[in-house]
Amino acid sequence: MWLKKRPRSGTDGSLLGSLPWTLLALGVAIAPHLPYLPPWITLIFIACAGVRMQIERRRWRLPGAWIRLSLALLCFIGVLGTYETISGVGPGSALLTVMAALKLLETRRRRDQFVLLFLSVFLIMSSLLREQYVWSLPYLIVGVLVTMTAWLQMSVSEGSNVKLALRDSLRLLTYALPLTIAMWLFFPRIATPFWAVPIDTGSGVTGLSDEMSPGDISSLSQSDAVAFRVRFDGAVPAPQDRYWRGLVLHRFNGRTWSGNEPTIGIRDNWPVEYLGSPVDYEVTMEPTRRHWVFALDVPYEWSLDMTYMGRQQQLARTQPVDQRIVYRAVSYTDFRLEPEMNRFSREYHLRLPDANNPRTRELAGNLHAQATDDRAYVDAVMRMFNEEQFYYTLQPPALGRNSVDEFLFRTRRGFCEHYASAFSVMMRAAGIPSRVVLGYQGGELNPLGNYLIVRQSDAHAWTEVWLEGDGWSRVDPTSAVAPERIETGMSAARFDGIGESWGLSAPWRVMHRLTLAWDMINAKWNEWVLAYGPENQRSFMQWLGMDDPDFRKMLLSLIAIVATLLGLVTAILAWRYRPPRRDPAFRLYRRFIRRTGVEPARGEPPLAFLERLSQERPSLAPQAAEVTRLYLETRYGGTSGTGIERLRDAVGRSFGTAVP
Amino acid sequence: MSSIQWPSPKSISTPAIESAGQLVRAARARISRRALRWARKRQGRDATVANLHSRRIYILPTGIGMVYALMTFTMLLGSMNYNNNLSFGLTFLLASLGFVAMHHCQRNLVGLEVSFAGADPVFAGQSAEFRIAVTNHSRSRRHHLEIYAAEASSDIADLGPGESRVFRLAIPTRQRGYVELPRFGIRTLFPFELFRAWAWLHMDLRCLVYPRPAGDPPAPPPSRSSRGHRQNDARGEEDFAGLRRFHAGDSPRHVAWKAYARSGELLSKRFSGADTSSQWLDFALTPGDDAEARLSVLTTWVVDADRLQRDYGLRLPGTEFPPTHGDAHRHRCLEALALFDAAALSDVA
Repeated sequence: MWLKKRPRSGTDGSLLGSLPWTLLALGVAIAPHLPYLPPWITLIFIACAGVRMQIERRRWRLPGAWIRLSLALLCFIGVLGTYETISGVGPGSALLTVMAALKLLETRRRRDQFVLLFLSVFLIMSSLLREQYVWSLPYLIVGVLVTMTAWLQMSVSEGSNVKLALRDSLRLLTYALPLTIAMWLFFPRIATPFWAVPIDTGSGVTGLSDEMSPGDISSLSQSDAVAFRVRFDGAVPAPQDRYWRGLVLHRFNGRTWSGNEPTIGIRDNWPVEYLGSPVDYEVTMEPTRRHWVFALDVPYEWSLDMTYMGRQQQLARTQPVDQRIVYRAVSYTDFRLEPEMNRFSREYHLRLPDANNPRTRELAGNLHAQATDDRAYVDAVMRMFNEEQFYYTLQPPALGRNSVDEFLFRTRRGFCEHYASAFSVMMRAAGIPSRVVLGYQGGELNPLGNYLIVRQSDAHAWTEVWLEGDGWSRVDPTSAVAPERIETGMSAARFDGIGESWGLSAPWRVMHRLTLAWDMINAKWNEWVLAYGPENQRSFMQWLGMDDPDFRKMLLSLIAIVATLLGLVTAILAWRYRPPRRDPAFRLYRRFIRRTGVEPARGEPPLAFLERLSQERPSLAPQAAEVTRLYLETRYGGTSGTGIERLRDAVGRSFGTAVP
Repeated sequence: MSSIQWPSPKSISTPAIESAGQLVRAARARISRRALRWARKRQGRDATVANLHSRRIYILPTGIGMVYALMTFTMLLGSMNYNNNLSFGLTFLLASLGFVAMHHCQRNLVGLEVSFAGADPVFAGQSAEFRIAVTNHSRSRRHHLEIYAAEASSDIADLGPGESRVFRLAIPTRQRGYVELPRFGIRTLFPFELFRAWAWLHMDLRCLVYPRPAGDPPAPPPSRSSRGHRQNDARGEEDFAGLRRFHAGDSPRHVAWKAYARSGELLSKRFSGADTSSQWLDFALTPGDDAEARLSVLTTWVVDADRLQRDYGLRLPGTEFPPTHGDAHRHRCLEALALFDAAALSDVA
């Protein structure tokens, strides 16, 4: 077994040349993991690397098997203790790092170094699973370059010529890149994973929750993280139309609004009349790990598999969105939703818990009695929010059991959720069916790429009330309190407003522009590289002219392209390894000889050949003597520059033709 | 006659196979034997100068190459599972590097000129050194080339553009006669040791092996003086006695180089002291238990006599070399000893 005592000899310093490169490759591979690794693992790696280098330099012995085994055991327990699991990217990369560190301590031969380089490749791979930024691509290329240089460095027997190894690996990489791109484009992508593996990306994904409880101490997400980006085929809709429908909440228990689980609806039953002109757009959505898919209110068509529309016009996917997805969609901003409502549905959307929020009910009753009809009542409530002392704030005070009563009559401070909830309750209390919609509102237009950035801070809640003749109509009570929130959006308000009020307008704008430029690069990166999945691949293949692309066709074209590119590599190599260009004098001389029809023997010197030629072809003797003389003069005399011209003439004359 | 050969079919198939490792090894030996036979049949015999055409270069992945392929495949499965386009990129980059490395590995040998640059005779027990010249008639560097045979391999070296280099294969010898090198190869693992490309060459090379000199030889037979003055020692080069036309076998030290520079004719100096004494080394009169032992003794005597610059003659059953001296004579005598057919002798006796 591997614990068997091997004769322990000192290291012989043979790895001294290549070991630093192996260490460098490992270092490059571990670097992106450093922010996530527990410090003790980093320390162990650095210690092992230093100790190993010193061992090689001083020709010491490697530590014995028992020391290594106990170290390995300790490290394993340490990793298990830190992460409480060994599956996932975090513990996986920690284990790989520990393995690399310990493997260093038993690296005796080149074979062991190969193991280290394989580990370095796996470490690079696991860092890519964790994060895929724009700079991850150059990083992976540099990582592979360093690994390959270290690899070549191992094979170098006599002395170490790093420059040569670096040049060789650069050249190999250059040849490999077109192949890589072809494989990347054509390798058929599949939608469903083979087995579900939790991806712990390290940071929690901010997004909308499935419920809404205004009054819990939950300050609205202030995160600048991008929720999704939208590119419109035509004009960008006006700010007041930029409502991104997410989920619909229609159950209220007095404190918390909740909705149905995502359901699969049947299109024929959707009681929607689409009015006006459609809006075509493409959404690149960041992963949320939830089922909801966002679309402009209200969606009509979408190109995303396993995604269905619920009865309340919300889109949901049967599988959580745990990867960045890209989809095209068509929406109508002008619509009539469920113009006819059955009794059951009406009663359902009027339900309120009986013993709850009594003052709100009373207020609703009074206001409704004063109003001429439902529309006038809606306006009255909106006017109340607008004219009375209601404030829009992101840090509202906490609310108690009768959250709506407390909000309307006591605190009067809140953000969209508070207003949507209160408004909806007011409607229901007055006998108007209502519900709350969660989604995003607004978004910042990036003039550099002409697309809309919708951030987590744009998350929003609004209400829909059912009015006779109009069906479900969107009413956004927040707009009555803070109209700028709706018209200019959160981020724009923050940048411009604060910037100007502080008198920092110009620098802020420059910063803002840089931010937008960076966002555009990221948007392109997400759109073209990261989101290249089954759908994008399909449309790319169709764009290339492949009709009805499927697995088989793509694989066949992949093979054909790879074969072609490899043929090209062969051709380039053949060209690189071509024989050196011969001396022009020699070529002229060869041409003359070929025309004489007499073949010189191997290694026969020109004068000896001339003698033989004169005997075999006496008629050619004078010309041959002339040509041979000129050839020897030009080749070995090396003084006159006109020799080559005279030789050309002589060769031409000898057969009565000009030599080009 | 000893010869370096790949194991014959008999020697592998007979022993009882005990373990799985042996089974695998036997199977591998059988496959490699088949491959060798096939290649020999396919390629035919090579001249002593051979150009490595791409058709005769073979390539197979190494163990490391297999592990690399397995790793890449694992990474492909991982990328597909996570649907991660960057790790797809890394996977395909590694796969492409593998493909490109394969082409480089093969190309590293294509177009090389391999030629036999001689093998000097050795005494049995020494290593016969076959010199194989490899020339790179191209504009790019050739990396990590190695000449190898069943029992030996050369140093690993690079060849720059247009560069030529002599690789040395040291083949151990055991018996007098010829040591044969029916096959050798040239191989490379460049660039990443993922693939091994090689070419087999069948030049039917051989190297003469003189008999092994006897360790403790009896005294040689006495010299007989032909002119009577034995006070001169055997160097016999005292008195210059004129020039004569150069004959093959004359020592270069005796060539009149100055005269050659003047006239362009090769002349040898003659010395009156030459032919002072001569010695017959006779197989029939050599002590020894058997023919091989006698041949060894004779070998030692020849070597000693040559070192002392004496004239000596060699008499073997059926052959006779009259007394003279010089490198050519020494070689002729040792060659006769090396190739002496002892079996025929015992038939006669």
